[in-house]
Amino acid sequence: MSLLKVDGVTSGYGDMEVLHTVSLEVGPQEIVTIIGPNGAGKSTLMKTIFGLLAPSVGTIRFNEQNITGLSPDRIVRLGMAYVPQVENIFPSLTVQENLEMGAFIRTDDFSDRIDEIYSLFPVLRRRRTQRVGKMSGGERQMVAMGRALMLDPTLILLDEPSAALAPKLAMEIFERITAINETGVAILIVEQNAKESLRLSTRGYVLAAGSNRFTDTGRSLLENEEIGRLYLGG
Amino acid sequence: MEHFAGILNYIVFFAITAGTYGILSLGLNIQWGYTGLFNIGVAGFYALGAYTSALLVGPAPSAWEERTFGGFGLPFIVGLIGAALVCGIVAIIIGIPTLRLRADYLAIATIGIAESIRLVLSNESWLTNGVWGLQQIPSPLYKTIHGGADAFINAHPGLPQWLHDLIVSAYDWFYLALVLVVLFVLYLIVERLGRAPWGRVVRAIREDEDATAMLGKNTFAFKLQTLVIGAMIMGIGGSIYAHYARFISPASFKPFYGTFLIWVMLILGGSGNNRGAILGSFVVWGIWAGTEFLTRYFPVSATQAASLRIVLIALLLEVVLLWRPQGILPPCTKKLE
Amino acid sequence: MSAITQIPQLLVYGIVSGSILALGGIGVSLTYSILGFSNFAHGDIMALGAYIGLGLLGLFTAVGLADTPLGPLSFGPGFILAMVLAAGLTAAAMIIIDRLLFRKLRHAGPIILMMASIGLALGLRNVIQFFWGPQPHYYIARIQVAVPIPGIDARIKSDEVFIIVLAIVLVAGVHAFLRYTKMGKAMRAMADNAALARVTGINTDRVIAWTWVIGGGLAAVAGILAGVENKFITPQLGWQMLLSIFAGVILGGIGNPYGAIIGCVIIGISEEVSTAFISTGYKPAVAFVIMILMLLVRPTGILGRKA
Repeated sequence: MSLLKVDGVTSGYGDMEVLHTVSLEVGPQEIVTIIGPNGAGKSTLMKTIFGLLAPSVGTIRFNEQNITGLSPDRIVRLGMAYVPQVENIFPSLTVQENLEMGAFIRTDDFSDRIDEIYSLFPVLRRRRTQRVGKMSGGERQMVAMGRALMLDPTLILLDEPSAALAPKLAMEIFERITAINETGVAILIVEQNAKESLRLSTRGYVLAAGSNRFTDTGRSLLENEEIGRLYLGG
Repeated sequence: MEHFAGILNYIVFFAITAGTYGILSLGLNIQWGYTGLFNIGVAGFYALGAYTSALLVGPAPSAWEERTFGGFGLPFIVGLIGAALVCGIVAIIIGIPTLRLRADYLAIATIGIAESIRLVLSNESWLTNGVWGLQQIPSPLYKTIHGGADAFINAHPGLPQWLHDLIVSAYDWFYLALVLVVLFVLYLIVERLGRAPWGRVVRAIREDEDATAMLGKNTFAFKLQTLVIGAMIMGIGGSIYAHYARFISPASFKPFYGTFLIWVMLILGGSGNNRGAILGSFVVWGIWAGTEFLTRYFPVSATQAASLRIVLIALLLEVVLLWRPQGILPPCTKKLE
Repeated sequence: MSAITQIPQLLVYGIVSGSILALGGIGVSLTYSILGFSNFAHGDIMALGAYIGLGLLGLFTAVGLADTPLGPLSFGPGFILAMVLAAGLTAAAMIIIDRLLFRKLRHAGPIILMMASIGLALGLRNVIQFFWGPQPHYYIARIQVAVPIPGIDARIKSDEVFIIVLAIVLVAGVHAFLRYTKMGKAMRAMADNAALARVTGINTDRVIAWTWVIGGGLAAVAGILAGVENKFITPQLGWQMLLSIFAGVILGGIGNPYGAIIGCVIIGISEEVSTAFISTGYKPAVAFVIMILMLLVRPTGILGRKA
């Protein structure tokens, strides 16, 4: 049984079709990485899954429920969270406030959840009263992921979480992603420089020119010479 | 037949006003319809044009005026050109600090300049005769045409009443022709600018300014040119208004008549379409004048009727924005590429 | 009296009018940052609130509701009640107008919203004029004597003290709301990044409704206080204050409510103090000139961020 099942989805912006009958699956507690060159439609796929773009053809099912065409605020209530690549934090709010906003729709006491997130990202606990706009790229990414975790999602979509980060910081983000996954959350990652991401993935998909090219386990994709040459920079 | 002459004379009067608004709408169309500049201080340029022209062409101050300056008795055409030039210069001054910023700033700055111009007109009595306004503004060729018509009537005492009425208003016929000629010439110019490479650039700025800038176009310069050309056309509209009304005062250029109506005309007629701008002027002025007749039958006072009519025009704008944002005549997008 | 000796008194007037402008400025700033457009109807919303207050005040007087002045003030509990109710009704009116007009135009972008707000401004002003006429209406007829302020060469009326204190209380209230409540934080979040707010699950419709409640409510209070300060109101009340408010909001940094408060107080003071040096006829242009100078020197305003 799969947690997320994208089936033959065609989508794009206005008249411009970016994705052509793309399919993919994410099982419970899996880490799945989508790799592919710039402009392959990776971000478009994320936005389509999360309801920011409506597919013209195809269906998207989440937890056996058809979510095709649902709006993001409905999807977020079903237990899926999305961390955009850019502008993924509220810069004038503090760390704590960003996390609270992640729990906006919760009416119960979520202080325990905030505590758990601070345990995942200890650096954020120390900086809880700081404005996120003044923090480093790596810390912002942690805030963004922490915010997305506030609703106890079963699946998180991460759009290029390590983009524009120094290699050391990127490594740390991937460590955190593994830690998040170990708490039982499935993760779908889009990455351009995806070696690190594939290393920790259960499976991976290669997307090119808006269509599926390959799919295999993360390890096999890493070891595949042709993939390496074409999409992983040799 | 008397009715016929009366109605015809009213139509002429109506068309002169609507035509003058047509000129202002064309000026606004080049700014908003072509380039997307949100100028809500049309009244400022309109007033500036009217006063400039009146001061250049009008008579020297008379004894009972507070004014001590201006009134050079120059030919009408000098007033018309002067009005355009002064408005162009003010547009440069207002454009430089605001055109690099978000559209909101231009909007607020233009409304500020329009109000400030009205304050200057009310306060600088030495130049403008204050709230009393400028009177006895000469109309071009008035003596020749009106005098000629009078002479003709005097020479032919047995004319039927309707013909007499038509000849008496011969000057209005002449002025209508003048307005239509100016409107037509400006229409040709604006239309030509729109089709030229210049027009393609400014339309591209309207669509996506950042993308246009990345193509290496100095978008600021294009926006400034648009603001200036539009303001000059509005100045011409002011001049045309002043020499027909023969009396102008700060109250003639309140935001409703001087700015808002023109916006409704352009949006209803079709932003980006010059024929739409002119059509909108006639339609909206028709609605505005028509409601005056209608409200006479309402059990409300004259000031209440005026308020009601303004509410109606405001509603008209919202209705167009909500249900037909492209206006009656949509912009000619086919010329874009 | 020379220009310099007038200044302390003009400063007092300026602080009073700046306090009123600031209450209007908060709404303009919130609408700008959360809904993304400059609301040209905000001045006329203030006028609407002032006239609703006037109507309620008349109603209360007619039914004989206690109108004995409160202490040294020139108005009684009926006035306070009228002000509170007017704020509520104005807020409700704004929510309805948003549903009917702005909400349907949100997809069309900020300039179309701005244009719709100009239409709304004229519509509101003339609805007011239709019912109440263009002539001035007295808000509070009682005469009040200004008492000397110890230490400086200026006088102040107790009503003016009330205006300043109420403005400070309301500003503090708005601050607490934005800083400590869930909805206040959500408003700041949406101002930061509306798209992310939606993706996060923040109920943006409710945030927008609250924006109108706060903006509309404060606008009504500002309009009523302007009536108290000037003694009378006309349908032009809001339009006349709008340019000063915009100037204050831009001066402080558009989209930042704290900047708007500072900017509006500066504009209020500058306008009053300017009358010592230039003709009072040009008072309305002072705000505009300051705004243009600010745009030339520092377009982001005093507290503004880079766009």
